[in-house]
Order: sequence, then C-alpha cells, then structure tokens
Amino acid sequence: MLSIIGKDVHVEFPIYDPRMRSLKYSFGIKHLAKGISRIAARDRNVGGQIGAGEAGRIVVKALDGLSFEISEGDRVGLLGHNGSGKTTLLRTLAGIYEPVSGAIQTNGRVFPLFDLQLGMDQDATGIENIWMRGKMLGLSTNQIKDALDDIADFTELGDYLYMPIRAYSTGMALRLAFAISTAIIPEILVLDEMIGAGDAAFISRADARLKSFLARTGILVIASHSMAILRQWCNKGMLLEQGKLVAFGPLENVVSIYESKVLPKNDAAADLLVLTPPPAP
Amino acid sequence: MLALTLKQVDSAVDDVWAGISSWRLSHFLAWQDVRQRYRRSTLGPIWMTLSFGVQIFTMGFLSAFLFGSALEKSFPYVCAGMLFWNLITQTINDGATLFVASARYITQIKCPLTVFLLQMVWRNLIVAGHNVAIYVAIALFFLVVPSPSMVLWPLGLLLVVICLSWMALVSAVISARYRDVPQLIANILAILFWLTPLMYFPEQLGQKRFIADYNPFTHMIALVREPLLGGEPSLNDWLVVLAIAVVGWAGTFLFFARFRARIVYWL
Repeated sequence: MLSIIGKDVHVEFPIYDPRMRSLKYSFGIKHLAKGISRIAARDRNVGGQIGAGEAGRIVVKALDGLSFEISEGDRVGLLGHNGSGKTTLLRTLAGIYEPVSGAIQTNGRVFPLFDLQLGMDQDATGIENIWMRGKMLGLSTNQIKDALDDIADFTELGDYLYMPIRAYSTGMALRLAFAISTAIIPEILVLDEMIGAGDAAFISRADARLKSFLARTGILVIASHSMAILRQWCNKGMLLEQGKLVAFGPLENVVSIYESKVLPKNDAAADLLVLTPPPAP
Repeated sequence: MLALTLKQVDSAVDDVWAGISSWRLSHFLAWQDVRQRYRRSTLGPIWMTLSFGVQIFTMGFLSAFLFGSALEKSFPYVCAGMLFWNLITQTINDGATLFVASARYITQIKCPLTVFLLQMVWRNLIVAGHNVAIYVAIALFFLVVPSPSMVLWPLGLLLVVICLSWMALVSAVISARYRDVPQLIANILAILFWLTPLMYFPEQLGQKRFIADYNPFTHMIALVREPLLGGEPSLNDWLVVLAIAVVGWAGTFLFFARFRARIVYWL
C-alpha cells in the first residue's frame, strides 16, 4: 500500500547573498538579520515567513508545520500563490530537502519529474541520452534496454536517434525527453506543473501516453496554477499559504476555498499596483 | 552548531552505503565525463597526456640542472611524482566544486551525495590512467625496473585514493557553503607543490628535511612512487598514510553527517 505521511513538517531556507557566502561576512550577519526582519514585517502576500533562525541566520520558513496523509490512488493538486511552498513541498516529498523538524514517511518509491531534460547532454546522441537520463532516473540497465524500442517507436525520431541532440529541433529534443521520462510507470509521481511535449501533430499521441502514464501511477502529486489541469487530473486538493497547510480534501472544496480566500487578496494587490499614480514628470 | 544526532549519523551511513552500492551509476557518469572530453576533438583526453608529457619534459631537465641530479634519475622521479601529484591536486580541486557543479542534479532528484564523490574520484583515476603512458615511455627509455614491493602497490594506491576522497569531501562541503574556499584550496595546493619533494629529492633539503617529513603529501607520494622507481616506501610512509586515511575519514564522516542534509539548502 503506497502512502505519504507528513508529520509536523518544517522546512527553512537560510538566505545567503553573494557577500554572505564568503567567510569574512559570516561574522557580521546579525545586523543584516535585523534589517531584513524589519522589511519582512510589512504586509506581504507572497512568499514564506521571513525570520531570524538560530545563530542569527536569516531564514525563510518555507514549510511551517505541515501534517497530512496521502494514500494510494490519491491524485493531489497543490494550490497556492507564488512562494506559498508548493515547490518546496514537492521537493520535500521527493526527499531532496530534509525537514528541519518533523518527518515525511513514504511507502513507495518517489519519482520527481521537475526538469524533463535533466541529465541530457547536447553533444551525445539520442541513444546515449536515453542511457544517461535513464540512469539518472534510477532505471536499471534492463529497464532501459526494454524501454529503448518503445521510446524509438513513440518519438518517431528514426535515424536521428544516432545523431547528437545538438542537431535536434527544440520540439524533437522535448519529444525525446518526454518519452524517456514517461517510459517507466512510477509508484509515486511528483510534478511541478504539467509536463507535455512537442508540436501540434504530436500532441494527441503525447496526450494519450501522458494519460496512461498518469493513470497508472500509484500516487500523483502535482502543483499547478491552472484549475483546468487540476480538475482534469486530481481528485484531492491541498492549499498552502505562506508555508502553512490551509486546506486538504476533495478538490472542489479546496478550489472554492482557494478562489474565495486567496484570489481576492491577489486581485486587491493587483488593483493597488494599477492605482499607483505615475511619477510626476 | 556541532551537535550531532544519531539520526544524522544514520542518514549519512545510508548515503555512503547507497552511494557505494550504486557504483555503477558513478562509473557510468565518470565515463560519460571522459567521453565528453573525447567528443568533437580528435585527440580528446590525449591532449591532457600530451601536456603532461611536455610538463615532465620541462621539469625533468629543470630538476636535473637545478638540483644537480642525473637525468636518468630525475626524469622517472619527476614523472612518477607528478603523475600522482596531478591526481591529488585535481581531485581536491574538483572536490571544491563538486556539489556546486552537480547542483542541478542535487536539487532535482534524490541521489546519494556519495555518488558524485565517487564519480569525480573515478574520473580523475581514469584521466591519470592516460598519463601512465608517459611514465611507461620514460621507464622504458631509462630502463627503470620496478621493485618487488610493487606487490603492495595497489594497496598503497587504494590508501592514497581513500585519503584523497575524504580531503575532496571536506573541501566539497565547505565550498558549498563558503564560495571563496575553492580559491583558497587551490592556493594552498600551489604552495604545497613546492614543499613536497617532487622536483627535488628529500635528501637535498639537507637540514631542512623536516619540511618534507612533516608534510603528509610527501608520504602519500612516496608510498606510490617509490615502488615504480625500484625502491620501496618506508614503514613510516605506510603508517603515516594509514593514519591519515583512518583518522581523516573518521573526522570527515562526522563532519559530513552533521552537514549532509544542509548541503542542498546551500546550493
């Protein structure tokens, strides 16, 4: 039984500007922390909470005490405005960020798919790239061998597979990346925005492949700003605001909370921007 | 700051273990790095071998003229020494940029950090392997016969590589956090080049011989260089390098365990 259980998950980012990364500045950081927390006290609609962590470090509380339980079959859509912690949560689910406190317990192998072209080398051939990317995704030699024909069929790249991908058009490279990434059905799939591939003629085939890929995944967690995409793929929604979990439940309920609670605030902010008078000549 | 929890040690053990057991991935990535250097270049990594040859040619003569040793002695000596010195400096310098260079992977997929360390060390061993050709040519030319102590040579090389791995790991972790450390390390290594008997023999230091004796790199180099030249490393060399490997890794492991989970936040 696949599942992801989060227990009071906290994730904080230390903020270093280029100067602070150098040795001599780490001795004067406290003053800076004070200044930044003053700025942070102003009203803000985006981003996590900014504060001073231990040892006077400036930290952004990206995830602030999240508890949840995702079970097999769940298709979870993450909602929230920019900087609410969606991507951080996805990366924490994938085990890339380890929580500062609290814990994430996953039963099943998490497959994060953030950058379709990660691990692809412009100077290597299509075939070599299938190996590279496959290895990076943690596939075994046999899995890659099995997938090779399938990928060649699907991409219709033919002899191009033996050319360096430098010679590919953007669309062709994307096709290849998409085909490799969807070659193996993952247990738990984590997506930041919907993936897709290629030119108009290719889109229906890509859609069919994507549908079966997403449908056969045990658990899907996807962050998106598009309600259409979330409504198409998800049955549950999770709403984040400033790193806190605001709502988690059936998608429609969460979407309506999101639309009533978060969107008006954003609109108000947008109005303010519009109403600001232009500077005097 | 320095508090270390059992959980951190546990996860670090997991990281190292997972990294070692997925050695195939490191091996694959290392070869991919080397292949990348062959691409679109007729000579590929042979360029490195060529420039190593030129370096040895110059240094061999210079060493003979400056320090008054015979050419047939200085050439193999300088070549064998520089073969390993280049391996040492390249590995530690690459270590300093290790996590920063792999940041794209580290922030996008869950992968043991040890994989990248092994990839880098293995890549540098492959490159050093190319340079062995120069040493073989020189050894044949001057008829240098390796000593029977070559039996233990693989063990010596392994010990040296183990020492290098922890040095690279420490510089990788510190450099991920403090971005001016790579330059600092490059500078320290540049100075160490002069303090390590590579161009000159330790005896030629006369009363200042302690400079070489207290330099850990002297012993690391001697351990793998002497058998090639027909001599044998002293027991002292063995003990010093063994101590560096064991004590170094013990400290490095605790250091790595403490900061491992933070590294991704620093990138």
